[in-house]
Amino acid sequence: MKASRLLSLIGLQLIAIVLISFSLSEGAIQVQCPGDTDGDGLWTGTEVQPPNTQCIHLAAGDGFVTMADGHLQYTFGFSDITGVLPEDVMRTGMLAAEFPGPSIKVKEGANVYLTLTNVGMIMRPDLFDPHSVHFHGFPNAAPIFDGEPMSSISINMGSSLTYYYTTPDPGTYMYHCHVEATEHMQMGMLANLWVTPLQDGATVGGCASQKYVFNDGDGSTCYDVDFPIQLSGFDSNFHDLHIAVQPLPFALMKDNYPMINGRGYPDTINPGPLPAPVIDGETGAVSQKVSSMISATAGQKVLLRVSSLATVDFYTLSVLGIPMRVVGRDAKILRSSSGQNLSYTTTSVTLGGGESYEVILDTAGVAPGTYFLYTTDLNNLSNSGEDFGGMMTEIDIL
Amino acid sequence: MKNTFIMKRAAWMLLIAAALVFGGPRAYAAIDGITGPTFNLTARAGYISTSEGGSYLMWGYADGAGLMQYPGPTLIVNQGDLVTVNLSNQLTVPVSIVFPGQSGVTAVGGTTGLLTSEAPAAGGTVTYSFTAAQPGTYTYYSGTRPELQIEMGLMGALIVRPTVNPATRAYGHSDSQFDHEYLFLLSEMDPDIHDQVAAGNMNPMDTTTYFPVYWFINGRTAPDTMGMAHDPLLPHQPYNIVPFMHPGEKVLLRMIGGGRDLHPFHTHGNHHKVIARDGRMLSSGVGADLAEMAFTTTVVPGSTADAIFTWTGEKLGWDMYGYTNATHPAYCSASGNPTAAYPADKLSQLPTDRCKPFPVTLPDQTDITNGQFYSGSPFLGSMGYIPPGEGGYNPNSGFLYMWHSHAEKEITNFDIFPGGMLTMLFIEAPGVTLMEP
Repeated sequence: MKASRLLSLIGLQLIAIVLISFSLSEGAIQVQCPGDTDGDGLWTGTEVQPPNTQCIHLAAGDGFVTMADGHLQYTFGFSDITGVLPEDVMRTGMLAAEFPGPSIKVKEGANVYLTLTNVGMIMRPDLFDPHSVHFHGFPNAAPIFDGEPMSSISINMGSSLTYYYTTPDPGTYMYHCHVEATEHMQMGMLANLWVTPLQDGATVGGCASQKYVFNDGDGSTCYDVDFPIQLSGFDSNFHDLHIAVQPLPFALMKDNYPMINGRGYPDTINPGPLPAPVIDGETGAVSQKVSSMISATAGQKVLLRVSSLATVDFYTLSVLGIPMRVVGRDAKILRSSSGQNLSYTTTSVTLGGGESYEVILDTAGVAPGTYFLYTTDLNNLSNSGEDFGGMMTEIDIL
Repeated sequence: MKNTFIMKRAAWMLLIAAALVFGGPRAYAAIDGITGPTFNLTARAGYISTSEGGSYLMWGYADGAGLMQYPGPTLIVNQGDLVTVNLSNQLTVPVSIVFPGQSGVTAVGGTTGLLTSEAPAAGGTVTYSFTAAQPGTYTYYSGTRPELQIEMGLMGALIVRPTVNPATRAYGHSDSQFDHEYLFLLSEMDPDIHDQVAAGNMNPMDTTTYFPVYWFINGRTAPDTMGMAHDPLLPHQPYNIVPFMHPGEKVLLRMIGGGRDLHPFHTHGNHHKVIARDGRMLSSGVGADLAEMAFTTTVVPGSTADAIFTWTGEKLGWDMYGYTNATHPAYCSASGNPTAAYPADKLSQLPTDRCKPFPVTLPDQTDITNGQFYSGSPFLGSMGYIPPGEGGYNPNSGFLYMWHSHAEKEITNFDIFPGGMLTMLFIEAPGVTLMEP
């Protein structure tokens, strides 16, 4: 990308900010959150949180991320702006897209008010794309809150749409933008989402942690620590052509950056956020916040919440040295209709886009040390041309 | 860029018009196909259309003297039938059929091929026979040079109906009970191969560089998937795919991998329950007790999976018909509870959801983009305001859900989004006659 082109785009940004500010003054940015009076989606001061209620405010826009080999990628994505006052939403949300988006963790049965504000794609001022949140796998969804734009509505730039969910079933889901899904998902509008069961906090089947994947009734899905593991891939050609305002290569789409939680190895094991991307000497927003470093003490049960939002490929994930017990798939416990436990032990799981698995690693008797979680589709152990990277992370048993 | 879902043909309007004229209640929706036990298939060439305007040479099985079709005719037989398939070959290459999942297939006539007997080129014939011993969803395809001929279109579906309740059960057992059934035969295409065959460059043909750019359900790319069946504008692609249901009804998905790639097939709206794979119930001996719940099922080449989908809207936390004390005091008491007068045909919705108000305020019209399948209202069976030129493809204000490949690259037609392996499920309000396009 040429510096002059970027500078001209930044000039257009200023125009866009002015334009979007007009719609802002019309009050189209609005967080709907019961008990919240100042519109920031949080309960502060005299505001009272109704029981069993959760509010989330996401911005949808664009930004940049850095691949493990240093390649800068233009992205679309979500950022968490819960707690930001309406008048500050645009400047907080613009060019702040995260990849993956903010992880959402909710309790079973909570009344969730998720507000999505479209802050526009400031680096592509020629675009007027709406955005949405598709709660992928949500049971008995209604179209109005499903985020699939053809059968419902999506939100335009400078405005907000509040989704409502009752989150009736625990398990590992995912969320993504469904507007022009091939483009917006390849561009990075993907994130982890899971629902914890009502059984949490009770001791069932001798589960000392009192944490479970599902309402299993027997403690068989007990775990001590959990980690979201979301698989995806980027086609750098698609992203590079996007920021260059070129026709997009849908037919030729071929991912060359396989990732876990938006990073290739060794960035996956960085326990904190990756450094903010630097665009033409300017430091952008911190955009890759989800580490895939897995650590536990020997004896603990480690829950991997594995999901895939890859837009092209299937991926097989394997753990070397620790058996993988699959207890759930697509947010459902593995049980027969007569209640028989159908969980199984394996050395790999294979996922296409839109599939999830709950996998427990029982580290009892596992020697302390470093173990690897990686794709056995070995060509995906790369960051584009750079080998020894890609879809891999480490499990530290202390 | 604006999401305009341009219909190249007026297929949708035809569909709606046809439904209004011919629509009528039926006990169940049967899958389009031809019934046995004797079939006369002819292998022929012809051209299919893709939704963005492409036209490609295909080889396919025709029903007797009919046109080549992609996929081949869906063969529907009854459990226990002695099935006879007479294949005659109008192609310039030998061709055959194999029937995965069927035992004791015999071939009479033709010439010996690698996998089965073949009908020689240009007028040759061969006859296959087998007893359809087990009910279920199967596929059939060419056993001759399959790496090329299946890509060229020589494949189709075989459905064996059970002895018990053949019209409403996939496997005789009540766990396979359905109100409506639909075929999802998934395939993909690399046009280079078809161009090479059209140019006569078949030997050698390198199929290892295969790179598909089209994705099909029942031989059509979206939005043609949602056009009417037997559309005269698509003479070689007679089968459509538009599932319809009412809340609480059960839809059987008969999914088949008809190409060479895996496809993660996602049902918006709810999980589906995979009750069978490759023509056998997932069972330890008692019904489909080992069925798997999934929101996305990987459809595997050469393999089949049957799933039951249902949807009631339970636990939405609001009345999906929009009934509240303020709007419908006869149905909802002042305390927000349903009365005895609450409509009986809407009771598939849980009592805890009835009469509960819609939880949020929707944005102003100027702040949203309306989908072409949006009714303008969040409520089932209610039509709301939609600006002129928007919406319009949901005449009964149903709840619509995209069912599609979640490898999102596959919902395109050769660089054009949207398209490919995609259709919409219509959940219509109780009492609305379902279209049978």
